[in-house]
Amino acid sequence: MRILEAISLDVHKGDTLGLVGPSGSGKSSLLMLMGGLERASSGEVRALGQDLSALSEDALARLRRDHIGVVFQSFHLIPTMTALENVATPLELAGVSDATERAQAELHEVGLADRAGHYPSQLSGGEQQRVALARASAPRPNILLADEPTGNLDSQTGAAIIDMLFGLQARHSATLVLVTHDPGLADRCDRVIELHDGQLTERPQAPDQAARAL
Amino acid sequence: MNASIAARIALRELRGGLEGFRIFLACVILGVAAIAAVGTVRSSIAEGLAREGATLLGGDAEIELTYRFANEGERAWMNEAALSVSEIADFRSMALFQERRSLTQIKAVDDAYPLVGKLELSPDISVSEALAMRSGQPGLVMHPTLAERLGATPGDTVRLGTKEFRLTALIEREPDTRSAGFGLGPRTIVKRTSLEGSGLLQPGTLFSSLYRLDLPPGADLSVMKRAAESALEGSGMRWSDARNGAPGVAEFVDRLGAFLILVGLSGLAVGGVGIAAALRAYLAGKVRVIAILRTIGADQATIFMCYLIQVGLLAAIGIAAGLALGVGVPVGLASLIEARLPVPAVFALYPAPMIEAAIYSLLTVLIFTLWPLAQAREVKPAALYRDAEAANTLPELRFIAATVTAIATLIAAAAFFSGDLWLTLWTAGGIAGALLLLALAGTGMRHLAYRTRRYTRGRVALGWALAAIGGPGSTASAVVLSLGLGLSVLAAIGQIDRNLRDAIAGDLPEIAPSYFFVDIQRDQMPGFSARLERDDGVDRVDAAPMLRGVLTEINGKPAAETAGDHWVLQGDRGVSYAASLPERSTITDGTWWSANYSGAPQVSFAQEEALEMGLKLGDEITVNILGRDITAEVSSFREVDFSTAGMGFIMIMNEAALVAAPHSFIATVYAEETAEAAILRDLSEQFPNITAIRVKDAVEQVSDLLAGLASATAWGASATLLTGFLVLIGAAAADQRARRYEAAILKTLGASRARILSGLALRAALLGAAAGLVALVAGIAGAWAVSHFIMGTQYSVVWSSALFIIAGGATISLLAGLGYALGPISVRPAGVLRARD
Repeated sequence: MRILEAISLDVHKGDTLGLVGPSGSGKSSLLMLMGGLERASSGEVRALGQDLSALSEDALARLRRDHIGVVFQSFHLIPTMTALENVATPLELAGVSDATERAQAELHEVGLADRAGHYPSQLSGGEQQRVALARASAPRPNILLADEPTGNLDSQTGAAIIDMLFGLQARHSATLVLVTHDPGLADRCDRVIELHDGQLTERPQAPDQAARAL
Repeated sequence: MNASIAARIALRELRGGLEGFRIFLACVILGVAAIAAVGTVRSSIAEGLAREGATLLGGDAEIELTYRFANEGERAWMNEAALSVSEIADFRSMALFQERRSLTQIKAVDDAYPLVGKLELSPDISVSEALAMRSGQPGLVMHPTLAERLGATPGDTVRLGTKEFRLTALIEREPDTRSAGFGLGPRTIVKRTSLEGSGLLQPGTLFSSLYRLDLPPGADLSVMKRAAESALEGSGMRWSDARNGAPGVAEFVDRLGAFLILVGLSGLAVGGVGIAAALRAYLAGKVRVIAILRTIGADQATIFMCYLIQVGLLAAIGIAAGLALGVGVPVGLASLIEARLPVPAVFALYPAPMIEAAIYSLLTVLIFTLWPLAQAREVKPAALYRDAEAANTLPELRFIAATVTAIATLIAAAAFFSGDLWLTLWTAGGIAGALLLLALAGTGMRHLAYRTRRYTRGRVALGWALAAIGGPGSTASAVVLSLGLGLSVLAAIGQIDRNLRDAIAGDLPEIAPSYFFVDIQRDQMPGFSARLERDDGVDRVDAAPMLRGVLTEINGKPAAETAGDHWVLQGDRGVSYAASLPERSTITDGTWWSANYSGAPQVSFAQEEALEMGLKLGDEITVNILGRDITAEVSSFREVDFSTAGMGFIMIMNEAALVAAPHSFIATVYAEETAEAAILRDLSEQFPNITAIRVKDAVEQVSDLLAGLASATAWGASATLLTGFLVLIGAAAADQRARRYEAAILKTLGASRARILSGLALRAALLGAAAGLVALVAGIAGAWAVSHFIMGTQYSVVWSSALFIIAGGATISLLAGLGYALGPISVRPAGVLRARD
C-alpha cells in the first residue's frame, strides 16, 4: 500500500509547519520520515543537509540525539525511569557531563521540578506530556517534531502544552513540524500542509494569521 | 455455576492453541520428567536387587560368623536345614608379584562355590579348573584392577602369604558381590584348602566365615531365620537371605533416590514459579474476555471453573509428556545405563514412580495456580471501560486455605514416598525458606538498584540497567526466584564437597598414620617393632591386641532396647584389652583397673558413644567374641577421637578377660612418606601373613565416593537450574514487549543499537550475578551449617566454587536475556510507538 506518493516538501530553518488531514491520510507517516523513524520505500528525505535514506539505523539515532526532538500523542516516556531520568537520557546519550542538572532545569521550565522523582505511572497525562516536552527540548534540537501532542489531553491541559511547545520553539529558534487534527492549532503555524490520500497541498496562510492566532 | 458451560468456554478458549502456555508446559514436563526418571532408575535397581537377591547373596540364605569357622554343632544344623552348604572365608591380605604388593580381599572358597550364579572368568574357564592344583601349584583368579596394580597377567606366579599361586584367569563378573564397587582391596578368589601352608588364616586373623545355604524349594525364609537364630543362639551369627540380598546397596540406592527426588522437588518448586508467572500473563491478556463474560452473565464460579479446567487440561498434557520423557529416557537407554551400573537393574515401566511424579506435579500446579485463578474471579465488568488490569489483591480466605491444604498434602505425600519425615520436612522448610529469602532478596535488589542509579553519571548503559532493575515492572524478583534455588543447591554442594574432601584428602593425611598393619601374631610383635624402631623415618608406632565382637546385651537385655539403632550395634566392632591405660588416652569418668587386675571382666567405653547409647558407669554389657559371650562392667569412660584416623577402640577390656582368646595385633605406623615403601617391603618380606592398609589409598576411595555423591546431587540441582532457565526465558519473553517499547523510545532519543544492547546485556548479567550472589550466601550458610553441625569439620569458603556460581548466574541470565534482546534492538521505532498511540 502506498501511503505517500509523489510528494515534495521543503521546510526551512525556524519554520513552524502544521500538518493536517483526515485519519489515515499519512500525516504521522510523513512526520516519522522526517525524523528518520521510518524509511521511505523510494525517494529522498533530507534533513539538516543529510540524506536520511542513506544513513544507517545508528547514524539516524545519532542525528536525532543531536538535532531532532520528538513529542508523541501517547507521550512515550520510559516507564522504568523517573521524570528526571527520562529527561536526562538524551543528554546522557550525547555525553553531556551535567545531564542531571540540565534535566532538572528543563523540568523546572515546564513546571515539574517537584515531580522529578516520580515515575510516569505516578504522573497525570498532562504532566507526562510536559516531561516529554522537556525531554525533547533538553538537547536544544534544531528540529522539533510533534505528533498530535494534545490528542490524549483535555482541552485546557492541551492548550497549556501547546503554549509550552511554541514557547520552546521560539526560545531555541527550532523548526517545528506539528501533526494535528485541530484547525485552530494548525493556524498558529507559519505554514499549513493538508494531506489527502497521500497527496499534499499547502493551504495559503494570511501573513498575519499566525501572529493573530498567537 | 454451570460446569458444562465453563468447560465449553474453556475448550473454546484453548482452540486458539497453546501459544501462551509453552513455558507452563515446559516447567511441568521438566519437573515431572526429572522426578519420574530418578524414581524409575531407583525402582529398576530395587527390582534388579530383588530378582538377583539369591545370586548377590550367593545362596538362598547366608550365615556369617566373625573371626571363626562354624563348630561341628552349628555345621550339623546347617547341613540338616539346607540341601547344600558352601563355606567361604573372607579376609584382607597382601598379594605379591615380583616387587609389587597390593592389598586384596581374599575369598577362600570350597568346591560348592558358587552355589548360585556363575563366576565369569577371562579366559572363559570353569571355577574348578581355574582354582585347581596343577604341577604342585594351586590356581587363583583376581579382579583385573588388582592384576593391573601388580602388573600380573594370567600365567604369572603370584604370592599370597608365603605360598605361590598361579594366576589362571581374571574375574569378569563375580555373582555374589554386594559392595557396589566400594572396597579397598580388589578381589582374589582361591580354594581355602590351597591356603594351607601360606601362613594366612591363622588363629587371630581377622576374617569372616560365610555359609551359603541352598534351601529346599518353597522354604519359608522368615521361618528359617527364626529357626537359625534359635538353633545358633549365642553364636554371634548374622543372618541374611535372598529377600534382601544386598541390604547395604538397597538401602544406599533407596536413600540416594529419595534424596534426589527431594532435590527434584526443588526443581518443581522453581517450575511452579514459572507456572504461576505464565498463568498470570495469560490471565492478564484475558481480562477483557473475562469482563465481557461477566457482562453477559457469567458468575465468578463459572469464570474460576473455566480457567481451572484449562489449567487442569494443560497440567494433564504436561504430566503425560513429562512421564513419557522421564520414564522413556531411562528405559530407552537401559542397556547403556545397565552397563555402567555396578548393581543389577531391571528397566521397565514402574507405576509407583510415575504416580509419585504425577501427584507431586499436580499438587505443585494447584499450589501455584489457585492464587491467580482466584484473582481472575475478581475481574469486574467495568474493566471493559477502565484500564484493564487483573486484580492484585489477596484472594478469598477459602482459596488461601485450599493452597495451604495443597502444600500440606504435598509434604505428606513426599514424606510418605521418601519414607523419611524429617528429611522431607527439612527439605520443604529449606525450599520454602529459600523461596522467601530469594523473594526478599529480589525486593532488596530493586531498592538497591533504585538508590544507586543516581551514582551512574556518565555510564549510560549501566544507568538504564539499574533503572530497569529498580523501576516499575522490574524482573529482579523473577530472575532471583527462578535462578536462585538451583544455584543455592549447587553452591552448597560445591562448598560442602570441597570442604569435606579437603578435610579428608588434605588435612587428614597430615595427622593420620601412614599404614594400618593387621593380623600381626603375638610372636611377630618383637620383630615387627624392632624393624620400625631402627627406622629414622618412623615417628610413632601404636600397637594393640585386636579382637572383634558384637555388643549383644546391655544389663541383660537386648542392646537395642537401650541404645536403639546406634551404629556401634551395627555389626561387629574392634575390641582390645590392656593392663594399663594406653598412651594418649584420657579417662573422662570412672577409674581404670589396676595393672594386675584379674577379677570379673571390666570394660572402658568410648565416652561420646556411651552417652549417645545411654550407657552409665556400672552398667553391664555383653559382647559376643568368637561365639563366646563375655559380660563386663563399664568401669570407665574414655575420650576417643576417630577424626584422626588413628587407633581408637570403642571397647577396651582388662587383660585377663581376653588374653586367652585367640587374637592378633593391630599397629598404626606414622612415618615419613619417603620411608613408607621400604617399611612395606621389609615387613611384607619378613611377615608375609601381615596385611598393610595404606591410609592414603583409603582416603582416596572415600574421596572418590564423596565425589560421586556430590556429582549425583549436582545433576539433580542442574535439573532445578534448567527449570530456572526455562522460567527465565518465560520471564524474558513476557518482558520482551516492554523492552521493545523501551528500545523504540531510546532509539527515538538517539541511542545506538550497541548501546541498547549493552544496556540489556548489563541488566541481565547484573540480575544473574546478583541471583548468584544471593544463592552463594544461602549456599555458604547451608554448607557452614552442614560442616559445623553434621560433619563436625572446619569450614572455609571455597572461592573458586563461589566465583563459578556468580559467573554461572550471570551467564545463564545473560543467555536468556540476549536471546530476547535481538527483537528490541532491531525494531523500527515508528512501528512500535504508533502501535501504542
